Amino acid sequence: MTRTTIGLIARQFCTTAAHGRALYSILLIMALMLGYAAYSGYKTYTDQNNIREHYQRVVRESWEGNPDKHPHRMAHYGSFAFRLKHPLSQFDFGLESFTGNAVYLEAHKQNSVNFSEATFSTGLLRFGEISLALLLQLILPLFIVFLGFSAVSADREGGALKIMLIQGASWRSILVGKSLGLMALALLVFVPVACVTFVMLLLADEPATGDTVWRYILLLGGYLLFLQIVCVITVIVSAVSASSKMALMNLLGIWLLLAVLLPRTLQALGSYVYPSPSKIEFETAVEEDVLKEGDSHNPNDPHYSALKDSVLRVHHVDSIQKLPFNYSGFVMREGERISANIYDRHLKKLLSVYKQQNSLNRVMAFVNPYVAIRNISMALSGTDFESYVAFQHGAEAYRYQMAQTMNELQMEYISTQQTSISHDHWKELPEYRQEPVSVTSVLKNEVWSFIALLAWGMVAVVLIQRISKTAKAL
Amino acid sequence: MYSLMIKQFLRSRVALVAVVLTLFMGVISILIGKQFLLKQEDTIARVTEQQQQHIERNVAAHTDELGLLLYYVRFALISPPDKLSALSIGQRDVTPGIQSVTIRALEGQKYDTELANPTQQQSGNLDLGFVIIYLFPLVIIAFTFNLLSEETETGTWRLVAVQSRSTFRYLLSKLSVRALFLYGTLFVLLALAVVIIGVPLNGAFAGFVALGVLYLAFWFALCFWVVSFKRGSGFNVLTLLSIWTVLNILLPASVNSYVTAAHPIPESLATTVQQRNSYHEKWDMDKKVTMDKFYAHYPQFARYGVPDQEFKWLWYYAMQQMGDDESATQSQAMRAKIIQREQTSRAIALAVPTLHAQLQFNDLAQTSLGNYVGLLDSATTFHERLRLYFYPKIFDNVSAKGEDWSRFKPEYIRAEPQISWVTMLAPLVVMVLVLAVWALRNARRLTSL
Repeated sequence: MTRTTIGLIARQFCTTAAHGRALYSILLIMALMLGYAAYSGYKTYTDQNNIREHYQRVVRESWEGNPDKHPHRMAHYGSFAFRLKHPLSQFDFGLESFTGNAVYLEAHKQNSVNFSEATFSTGLLRFGEISLALLLQLILPLFIVFLGFSAVSADREGGALKIMLIQGASWRSILVGKSLGLMALALLVFVPVACVTFVMLLLADEPATGDTVWRYILLLGGYLLFLQIVCVITVIVSAVSASSKMALMNLLGIWLLLAVLLPRTLQALGSYVYPSPSKIEFETAVEEDVLKEGDSHNPNDPHYSALKDSVLRVHHVDSIQKLPFNYSGFVMREGERISANIYDRHLKKLLSVYKQQNSLNRVMAFVNPYVAIRNISMALSGTDFESYVAFQHGAEAYRYQMAQTMNELQMEYISTQQTSISHDHWKELPEYRQEPVSVTSVLKNEVWSFIALLAWGMVAVVLIQRISKTAKAL
Repeated sequence: MYSLMIKQFLRSRVALVAVVLTLFMGVISILIGKQFLLKQEDTIARVTEQQQQHIERNVAAHTDELGLLLYYVRFALISPPDKLSALSIGQRDVTPGIQSVTIRALEGQKYDTELANPTQQQSGNLDLGFVIIYLFPLVIIAFTFNLLSEETETGTWRLVAVQSRSTFRYLLSKLSVRALFLYGTLFVLLALAVVIIGVPLNGAFAGFVALGVLYLAFWFALCFWVVSFKRGSGFNVLTLLSIWTVLNILLPASVNSYVTAAHPIPESLATTVQQRNSYHEKWDMDKKVTMDKFYAHYPQFARYGVPDQEFKWLWYYAMQQMGDDESATQSQAMRAKIIQREQTSRAIALAVPTLHAQLQFNDLAQTSLGNYVGLLDSATTFHERLRLYFYPKIFDNVSAKGEDWSRFKPEYIRAEPQISWVTMLAPLVVMVLVLAVWALRNARRLTSL
């Protein structure tokens, strides 16, 4: 009985909406925006990845094409890491425009990741970017509000609600039915977006791996749950508000507060409360720590003279010329190890400040389902903060590997007689490859956002039960 | 009648809450702006202090070899933030305001970025510009959408129509009560900004005020225009909020995506790879190749000839120079692309008040992309000047002792904003007039019920 009632109410809600002009204009606008967002997502992804892959190849060819030389010259010649976009970045741009894309990798020095899209952008970027994710997170909820604010209140005002209740429909089936009907309308937008995203994944140069498929499925699940929560809240607000007009006001207020005002305000407050160091502060701190450890260029430095003594002792020789390896290569390897460790320590500290800045907004996921889905969406699309940090770490690890490979070549081959080595050695350094972040680590990073979204799903169910008992027909 | 209208307006809790909330957000935004400004000023103070120590330390360590010394020494060029930048942070948090460069190849140095939290950058700054562009319109909508419909829906409109001399004038005075409160809020916030941040009362600030006033006028005119069609409250609020969403979210986001996708900048990567290759490959080439190119660029140094030693700083800096010279084409192309983006954005913004206000606020505060390009250009001249000053000294192997290093303090560039009042204000004036005239025509029909 209830199931058929729910189905009936849901269907009736949809047919009523189908009679109005509003639905069609909304669908038309959404279709246009969907097309535009999909196109710009696809174009940016394809263009940028082509450009970056091209230069990554160029850089590798020029690395291997170097003639014979001293390996330390090669370490200074260095290489580059270009950040590749995840195929799902076509769907959710996330932080992509604000994270750097190219970093020069050389011995002794961790360079900044440069050329973020933001550095080439006008003030317009701060208004946001139009992506499929933006449509689902921000615009579709607004349209759900437009279509559903009067879902219950109009029936009450028109007197139909009384009749429905008298005829035996329970409050619960009315609320559930209307929510499902509203959700069906939302699916008219959601399903095309999901299909378009699927096609984009097929078109991407990078073949879709199992990992990508899992990300895609989780994305769909997350958004379905989010949209269902939005639909339930809309119907409930419609049921408890005094009139359709009041319901609309309340819903618009909630949308503005949760989707527009709170996230920006809390993020700004987070940065206000936890100030982060400027680059010059950061670099000075690193430099001071490195100098504390010792200056590898200073022959009288206590750290390095102690090191020299112990090395000579271990090898039972009395001068560095008698060592079985090139001593300055050895010192350089030691210096690189120390400075890289120190840099790493400071970087971790910096990143933890950033995480603190973001934390204020992140805990809001429990109060604000929009924040939960936004975080989940970015993380699954490989465009979140963690994905960027993973790139940074990967690039630094490759830089370290490059510098140490060259130092070891120097230790092995360089002597007063031989000051350069064959270019065949350059191939010994493997090509730079961007390590993908696995979907399991995404789940681990975003576990609280997932829990928050699921909790919201349960709150929606509980709310329907509660309201069913207290709602008034008149 | 005015005092009654004010009383009636204040009766509604929504009005008070909205005004208080706007004031609150405004104050937060001013504090955030102040913190931003303090951080920038603190960084500048640090750079100034450190440059002195940095030079002293390096001079002590490398007195004998000027070429080696200048390998290490950095010279800072600073573009100090205008006080107004606290009200419109713009691109200033993404692009660095300090260029700290050695006399080696510049192209490898000048694009280095400031450290920043990308999540913070993506969510955008909460500055007073944002409060004006984003929040004030929402409050204006909340205050005016039912200007007329609340009267018709509660049945008081007939009374008004009978009792007042002109219903149109009645509506206008109702509107002006709301405008009074909102402009009051705006002026309080601007006054607070002057007090808290110490914004000087100059032409740029006047421009900021004028732009703010006209921008709000645009929204009042827009709301009045919608109201003048005499539809229900629900219809009005839906329409106005849709317009707000289009103007503040959808259009800007679309325009930005368009600009980004239409003008990709692969030249940035080309520049950075090219400058690296051009310098490094010279190590493996005959010295004459490099020196010939160098003397072609700077014939005044040709007398130094081609060095025959294995290593000479003359040759080293000639190689570094090649990093810049041979990536100049790519670098120029990148600059042209950036300018193209700026121009496209500006052209489109003329028709979209929100975008226009944002770009103009940034211009007044000197925090636009154009200002960053300006800094890059100044860095190029600054670098060239240093280079040409030190080159002959390095080539002659002059001792570092002879140089008065205390002379090398950070340099400042201070550009006065070029305020073009017409471009800044005309688009808004035109839109306000068009909407107002149209609304007036509609309003004439109001008297007939």
